[in-house]
Amino acid sequence: MSTTERRSRIEALGAFLPAGRETNDELRAKVPNLGDADVRRITGIAERRVHDPDPAAGEDSFGMALAAARDCLAVSRHRAADLDVVISASITRVKDGSRFHFEPSFAGMLAKELGAQPAISFDVSNACAGMMTGVWLLDRMIRSGAVRSGMVVSGEQATRVARTAARELRDSYDPQFASLSVGDSAAAVVLDESTDPADRIHYIELMTCAEYSHLCLGMPSDRSQGIGLYTDNKKMHDRERLKLWPRFHEDFLAKNGRRFEDEEFDHIIQHQVGTRFIEYANRTAEAEFAAPMPPSLQVVEQYGNTATTSHFLTLRDHLRRTRGAGATGTGTGTGSGPGAGPAREAAGAKYLLVPAASGLVTGALSATVTHAGA
Amino acid sequence: MGIVITASATATHTDPGTPASAVDLAGRAARRCLAHARVSPSGVGVLVNVGVYRENNTFEPALAALVQKETGINPDYLADPQPAAGFSFDLMDGACGVLSAVQAGQSLLATGTTERLLITAADVHPGGDASRDPDYPYADLAGAFLLERDADPDTGFGPVRHYGGGDRPTDVAGYLDLDTMGSGGRSRITVHRTPGHEQRTGELAAAAVAAYTGEFGLDAGRTLVIGPDAPAGVGDGPGGGRPHTAAPVLGYLHALESARPEGVDTLLFVTAGAGPRAAVASYRPQGW
Repeated sequence: MSTTERRSRIEALGAFLPAGRETNDELRAKVPNLGDADVRRITGIAERRVHDPDPAAGEDSFGMALAAARDCLAVSRHRAADLDVVISASITRVKDGSRFHFEPSFAGMLAKELGAQPAISFDVSNACAGMMTGVWLLDRMIRSGAVRSGMVVSGEQATRVARTAARELRDSYDPQFASLSVGDSAAAVVLDESTDPADRIHYIELMTCAEYSHLCLGMPSDRSQGIGLYTDNKKMHDRERLKLWPRFHEDFLAKNGRRFEDEEFDHIIQHQVGTRFIEYANRTAEAEFAAPMPPSLQVVEQYGNTATTSHFLTLRDHLRRTRGAGATGTGTGTGSGPGAGPAREAAGAKYLLVPAASGLVTGALSATVTHAGA
Repeated sequence: MGIVITASATATHTDPGTPASAVDLAGRAARRCLAHARVSPSGVGVLVNVGVYRENNTFEPALAALVQKETGINPDYLADPQPAAGFSFDLMDGACGVLSAVQAGQSLLATGTTERLLITAADVHPGGDASRDPDYPYADLAGAFLLERDADPDTGFGPVRHYGGGDRPTDVAGYLDLDTMGSGGRSRITVHRTPGHEQRTGELAAAAVAAYTGEFGLDAGRTLVIGPDAPAGVGDGPGGGRPHTAAPVLGYLHALESARPEGVDTLLFVTAGAGPRAAVASYRPQGW
C-alpha cells in the first residue's frame, strides 16, 4: 500500500484507571429490571472501574485522558513539547464535570495542558475504533514524512451509559443491555518512526462496513437525564459480521502474497467486548483462516468493555506483566507506584490487534513491540 | 505530486417539514460531488466527516459511517462480488475541520492509502432546525470536497499550518450539559461565545495569514484569501445562522464562480474559531 519505506512504531503506552470498582452484585443492585440475567455468565466480566462523579476528583473523560497522557510521557523518550501531533479519540468527551464537548477539540485542550503546543491537534470519533483510527492516521502521517512523532489519547466515562441503562432497562433483551458491560478508563500511545524491525507497526488496515452502521447508536436518552447506547447485539455480533475481519485481513494478506499462518503472531488482542465474544471471534477466525489463532490476551474480566481504549490497555497490561512490572495500576498512581516504573524488555513479541466497533469498523494492526515504554 | 480538489458541492436544508439531518445533508453534498467528478461511490476509499453539530447529539457511530451508507460507498464488504473496502471516520476540529482533514488527507493520498478522499462538512442543530434556536449561531448546511493526487507538483494544496492563540482561553465552546439537559438532551445544545469573540477571531486569522504568507513567501497581489467566514450572505440559514465547518467549501465555490481578480493565481484558505485556533493552507487551482 505504501509508496515509502518509512514505518512507524509503538514507542510508549500509558493508562489511567479510576480506583473505584463495581462488581456485578453492586451493579445488579442498581438495575431493577435485570431479572435473573447473569451478567458474569453472559459477558464474562467480573467487575469494572467506575469514575468518581465528584468534579474535584478529576475523573471526567478529559481528566482521565490527561492522566493517561502524562503516564505515557513518563515512559516515553519524547517530551510533550516534541510531539508533532496530538489526536484525541474519546467517544464520551466529558469535561468540566458534566459538559459533553463538541468544540473546541479535546485534543487541542489536552495539548495545551500537556505543553505540547504548537502540535497539530484534532479529535477523531469512530466509536470503539477511535484510538485505532488515530493510530492509523498517525501511522500514515509518519510514513508520509509529515510528522515525526505523535500521541493518540482517549479518556472514557463509559459508565455514564451504564447508569442510564440501569434506570431504563426493561429486560435482558433491551437494546441497552450491552451498556452494562462497559468500564471507565483512559489510555495513551506515542508513535514515532521505526528504525528497527523489533519495534515496528508492520501494517494497520481498517474498513467500515457501513451497511450495518445503524446497529449501535449512542445519544442522550429521551426517557431520563443521561446518555444512552442502543445496540442490536444479536445482529452486531452475528457470525456473518464476525467474518468481516478474517475476510478483509485474508484479502489484504493475499494481495501481498501471504497467508495468516505466515504472519507468526505471538498474541492476538480482540476488542474487549466480553469473554464469550472474544472466544467466538477467535473461533470464527480459525474457521475462516483455516489456521489456529495465537494466544488471546484479555483484560475484560477486570475492566469490562472500555470502548476506545481496550486494545491499548490490554497491550500495556501484557507488556507490564511479562516484564514483571505488575499489571496496570490504579488511580493517579499508574506508572509511579512501587515496582510500576518504566519497564522495558529485550525479547519482543508480535501482536495482532483486531478492532470491532460500531460503524461497523474492523481491520488489523500488526506490530512487533520490544522496547516500548509501558 | 499535488493534492487537488476534483469536485466540490454543498447541500442546504430545504424542507421545513422534516428535521435537518447532518447525515442527509452530507450524503447529498457527497453525491453531488461524486456526480460532478463522474466518480462512482465505490471509487472512494476514505470518507472523513468534519461536522461538529449533528442530529440528536449522536456520539456513536461516527456520523461518517452513516454518511458512507447514505452515499453508497462500499457499504458491505462481504456482499460485494468484488470486495472493495471503504473506511470512514469523524475528524473534529471546530471551524478548522476541513483544513485538518486536508492535512491528514495529504498523508493518506501520499502513502497510497487511498486514491480518493471525500471530506464532508455537515452541521445541523441537534433539534433539527437551527432557525428555532436564537442562541445557536450556525446554519443547517453541508459541504463536500473530493480530493485526489495530481501529477503536477505545482498545483493543488500547499502545506497546512495551524496557529494557536497562546494561553488565551477559548472564545467559543459548544457543549451539552449532561447535568441539566433533563430528558431533552437530543435536541439541546449550547454554543457559548464570549463578547468580542468576532474581533479576536478575525485578528487571529489575520495574524495566521500574515505568518503563512511570510513563511512561504507568497505574493499578496497574486493571492485571494478565502475565509475565515463564508462570503457575506452565502450559505446563511433562514434564521440568520452562518456556515460553520462547511465555510471553506462555500468560499471556494464562490471564488471559482466569481471573476478571477487580475493577477491572482493562488487561493489562501483560512479558518479560525474555538481553541482559539486558526489554520491556513494555500491552494493553486487547475485551469482557473
